[in-house]
Amino acid sequence: MGAYIVRRTLWAILLLLVVSFLTFVIFNVFPSADPAALRAGRNATPALIEQIRRNLGLDKPFYTQYWIYLKGLLEHFNLGYSYYNTESVKSEIFSRLPATISVTVGGFVAWMLIGIPVGIISAIKPRSLLDRIMMGGSLVAISAPVYFLGLVSLFLFAQGTGVLQWAGAAGSYVPITQNPGTWFNSLILAWLTLAAAFAAFYARMTRGNLIEVMHEDYIRTARAKGLRESVVITKHGLRAALTPIVTMAGMDIGLLLGGAILTEIVFNIPGIGRYAYDAIVNADLPAIQGTVLFGAFFIVFANLVVDILYAFLDPRVTYG
Amino acid sequence: MALLEIEDLHVSFKTVDGVVHAVEGVSLSLDARKTLGIVGESGSGKSVTAQTILGLTRFPNATISGRILFDGHDLLTMSTEHLRDVRGARIAMIFQDPLSSLHPFFKVGHQIVEAIRAHEDVPRDLARKRTIEALRSVGIPSPDERFTSFPHEMSGGMRQRVMIAMALALRPDILIADEPTTALDVTVQAQVLELIQALRDDFGTAVILITHDLGVVAQMADDVAVMYAGRVLEQSSRETLFTEPEHPYTWGLLQSIPRLDAPRTGRLNPIAGSPPSLINVPRGCTFHPRCPYAPPPAFETEPALAPSQPGHLVRCHLPIEERKRLWQSLQKEHPVLR
Amino acid sequence: MRRRNAVFVGLAAGALVLVAAGFGNGGNTSGAQGKKGGTITMLSNGDVDHIDPGQAYYQFTYAITYITQRPLLAYKPNSVTPIPDLAASMPTVSANGLTVTVHIKHGIKFSPPVNREVTSADVKYAMERGFDSAVANGYASAYFGDLVGAPTTPQNKVPNISGIQTPDKYTIVFKLRKPSGVFVGALQEPLTAPVPASYARKYDKGTASSYGNWQVATGPYMIQNNAAGKITGYTPGRQIVLVRNPNWNPKTSWRPAYADKIVIKEGFDPTVGTKQILSGSADVNGDFPPPAAELKSITSNSSQKSELEFTATSGSRYVALNTRKPPFNKLLVRQAVAYVLDRNALRLTRGGPIDGKIATHFISPDFGSVGFNQAGGFNFNPFPSAGGSGDVAKAMALMKKAGYKSGKYSGPQVTQVADNSPPGSNTAAVVANSLAKIGFNVKTISVQHAAMYTRFCNVPKNEPNICPNVGWLADFHEPQTLLDPTFNGKNIIPTNNSNWPLLNDSAINKLMDKAELELNPETRYKEWGQIDDMITKTAAAIPWIWETSPTLYSTKVTHASELWNGGEPDMSFMSVK
Repeated sequence: MGAYIVRRTLWAILLLLVVSFLTFVIFNVFPSADPAALRAGRNATPALIEQIRRNLGLDKPFYTQYWIYLKGLLEHFNLGYSYYNTESVKSEIFSRLPATISVTVGGFVAWMLIGIPVGIISAIKPRSLLDRIMMGGSLVAISAPVYFLGLVSLFLFAQGTGVLQWAGAAGSYVPITQNPGTWFNSLILAWLTLAAAFAAFYARMTRGNLIEVMHEDYIRTARAKGLRESVVITKHGLRAALTPIVTMAGMDIGLLLGGAILTEIVFNIPGIGRYAYDAIVNADLPAIQGTVLFGAFFIVFANLVVDILYAFLDPRVTYG
Repeated sequence: MALLEIEDLHVSFKTVDGVVHAVEGVSLSLDARKTLGIVGESGSGKSVTAQTILGLTRFPNATISGRILFDGHDLLTMSTEHLRDVRGARIAMIFQDPLSSLHPFFKVGHQIVEAIRAHEDVPRDLARKRTIEALRSVGIPSPDERFTSFPHEMSGGMRQRVMIAMALALRPDILIADEPTTALDVTVQAQVLELIQALRDDFGTAVILITHDLGVVAQMADDVAVMYAGRVLEQSSRETLFTEPEHPYTWGLLQSIPRLDAPRTGRLNPIAGSPPSLINVPRGCTFHPRCPYAPPPAFETEPALAPSQPGHLVRCHLPIEERKRLWQSLQKEHPVLR
Repeated sequence: MRRRNAVFVGLAAGALVLVAAGFGNGGNTSGAQGKKGGTITMLSNGDVDHIDPGQAYYQFTYAITYITQRPLLAYKPNSVTPIPDLAASMPTVSANGLTVTVHIKHGIKFSPPVNREVTSADVKYAMERGFDSAVANGYASAYFGDLVGAPTTPQNKVPNISGIQTPDKYTIVFKLRKPSGVFVGALQEPLTAPVPASYARKYDKGTASSYGNWQVATGPYMIQNNAAGKITGYTPGRQIVLVRNPNWNPKTSWRPAYADKIVIKEGFDPTVGTKQILSGSADVNGDFPPPAAELKSITSNSSQKSELEFTATSGSRYVALNTRKPPFNKLLVRQAVAYVLDRNALRLTRGGPIDGKIATHFISPDFGSVGFNQAGGFNFNPFPSAGGSGDVAKAMALMKKAGYKSGKYSGPQVTQVADNSPPGSNTAAVVANSLAKIGFNVKTISVQHAAMYTRFCNVPKNEPNICPNVGWLADFHEPQTLLDPTFNGKNIIPTNNSNWPLLNDSAINKLMDKAELELNPETRYKEWGQIDDMITKTAAAIPWIWETSPTLYSTKVTHASELWNGGEPDMSFMSVK
């Protein structure tokens, strides 16, 4: 297992390098805005723009720029400075990390807490009215875009904008360390919105897996032993049905991160998603690079964790 | 009074293709300490019958009627809660494929402990001790190490021994063994059968042995029922069945037993044709499409399961004399094992 | 031209504005007595462009800069006449126009931790640092480049400009190389707000100044900071917290500064932000206009209709035709396009009449007597059509004259580079549809808005035949700031070019060069009116909307819209009711 983790980590680092290089290439090959001109403003002279270009190091060939970037990254873990406002990308990302973690982890928890029980209930009574209602509802949730769902939830339930003022307003985020109650209140709608589509999908998947697993021979054995049906379902059935779901969840974390960008924008949560969005609008390559790398790291890391977790979940799996 | 009495059992399942009539009017009885063999091809209803005894066919799409009396109670009408006390503790069951029948994610020891603790309020360490004992009694070497093994880490024979240990850990009155050797290596098959036999003799457990292999029955059973298309076609003591079989289907089964003392021709003597669909069961005798001797009435009406002599029930339109004559001549061509 | 609404980043930026034509209910504004205390909350979608007042060049940022900094001149709400702020009186200009003298007020102090009195040297340093590429002010060379000794090439340090003289602590004398019609007007730009050299110099070192994060204030408010001077009230993209500047003396200022605290919360979706203002959980919108759907519902059936104010903006959106390339190098072809363009449909892509009047020339109505009337006002419409929907017959007649016998274009495909997202992408589609009526097959290249400008339309060698998503707003109340960067042939530059039609008409250039030096306002505005007439008739660019900008106030605050700054609220005049 140790060797496996080392190998995976090396691959992950290589992958991150490739991702950062591709981001550089894409930024330089496809027409995005000229950062020097954007920073200089509309009335600036061409000479001033060239000066800014030199100051930002944008006059160098892009492979040189990449090399400089890479050196900073590897030697000092320096993610560079925003073209747009000269802020350190690393400190921006780290200062926004708690918000993004709050959104994604909370969303993940909500997604699992809703998706799995709904799937179980549906699976126990397939084709019942409850099953039909829940699976129908999940279809709606899967199809609705996060952005739309977010706005609707704000206009229904948020303070300031909602018909029922139950949850915190958009933009009311505070760090958990400052006030856990406000923190929770400001995020609850975001979590539910983010979780909705995933929860719906996972409810359907849990239902399908569980129905399938409940036909397995070992379930029959469990019943033949005289176990309670509740134990048969929640222990023997779920144990097997949830294992592939954990793997799926690991892969979907990338999607969750994508959803978090939209969620952060709708609910005005100052996280990395919001930062990424602004970076793209401002053609701010260092910030784009930083957020892309962060996202890639997050996904790679999540996948590694899931793979390791899977070895514990399924004793038949071994990594050499 | 018999230990287990199955009376006129009917089981059918609604499926998208139509209603599957899996069991049609089966009546069987099992006495204490006895072994009942149920023989038939796949789809004959033998496994469904066995599983219905433990209520394992209680699905929303199943229709079940008849009676299964155990200890004076009807298992079919018993609440799931009460049935749970019977399952595993009084009637235990082992299955064809021990790999798929053991949960892949739990250690084998745990799976047995779980069975014990489902019925007896014993502390964990005591349950563990008993489990190791049970593993030892089924001949698993170094059982305390094996306790923490996962099913995939064991051989097929070992896995079936685990299943048997699990089934017998609570000393049930009845062990239902559903094709217990089918998925195993030939060499291991004999060992497992011997094990079941030995345990039966030691513990005095009654056994329902379900198999498609008459050879297995010949080795173990006291009584035998031959099933086909959800029905019992012939039922008797083992002795009678092997010496005086009266149903053409039984003859076919007997002739398809591989013989060790005859020269190998490279192929067995299977019964021509294939078992009928249980959705569209043939009119008349269910076996007539495959029966070389079927008399005209067999095409129209189903024969009743009738005694040809005390303790020997046969479901056939052929006159008794005719059956005996046909069996005699078959014996000359192709003697079967005795 | 300053940057405008983030949502519209399109038009660059505008200042001066007269009356909000036809709209708006005024609310209770500057004159009304306000109540001291309380907090005003402004919502925005994006961030300020730069927090450093010497770098800021964006009308949303200006709403903050003008209440924390004191430039030489400034404006009251609802007014377009600059009045002295840091200056003690209006500047005096010598008869030859080459010397401008300004006296500054006594007793104005910098906020903590600097705490000392402002002197004329602080104004000099503030303006000089604008020429340092570490600050890279966007308008320094455009408006102050005529100062004697002003650098003509970018500097890597703060230069000493000999044309900015400080004979005593309270006097600044500007020496110009040539007379300028716009120099005095430009003294209202935040670059003239004082910066303490001894304190700021260490932050201005290097390739990018960090003074923004250590800035000190002179206005009634300051961005919250700590004892060392480090700004703590600004978190990029999240919020800006303004608190009272303890060193601000109300006796030296005409700003009432009612509220104790001003919080600008950033990152709001426009619809969500609008609803929060309507519910009273926030007070006013910053960089985003309420979305068209919200505007419609507020103006049609809301009790809060009176909380909405529309302010005209000082310029127009237009479609630029590349006059250097065929077929639009031909006047007749361009004029045919001017006739056929469906301006009504173009306006609908931005929300229809609620967004403004259909433009028929360049100087917008809010300029009134300083150019708009001189150009012919609303009567000047050289390419008329019923309802502004285009006149195909006239257009085809012109095409015939231009040599296309069928009246329809028959040459090779023409190209436009347009926004890849609405509303700009819709605008481009309307342009393509209109041109198709006279035979044009328009190929559209869609890119991000900022890329459209910085990679294509601002770079003459990359410029397509048509730039459909351009526009310009004046920085202040002089038509020169509207027409000169955009249509003077001498202003065509290889990058960051704003003369999108690449118009280089010697008659127009000549008249502009004359008007730039004209010190007599009456003559100057007449000349610019004439220039507007000439440019419009070249059809090198076809204006289609004079926009208005909506500002929504909550019922909890008084109104104070800055007419000169495109409707941004003046929060030093707003008060909690």
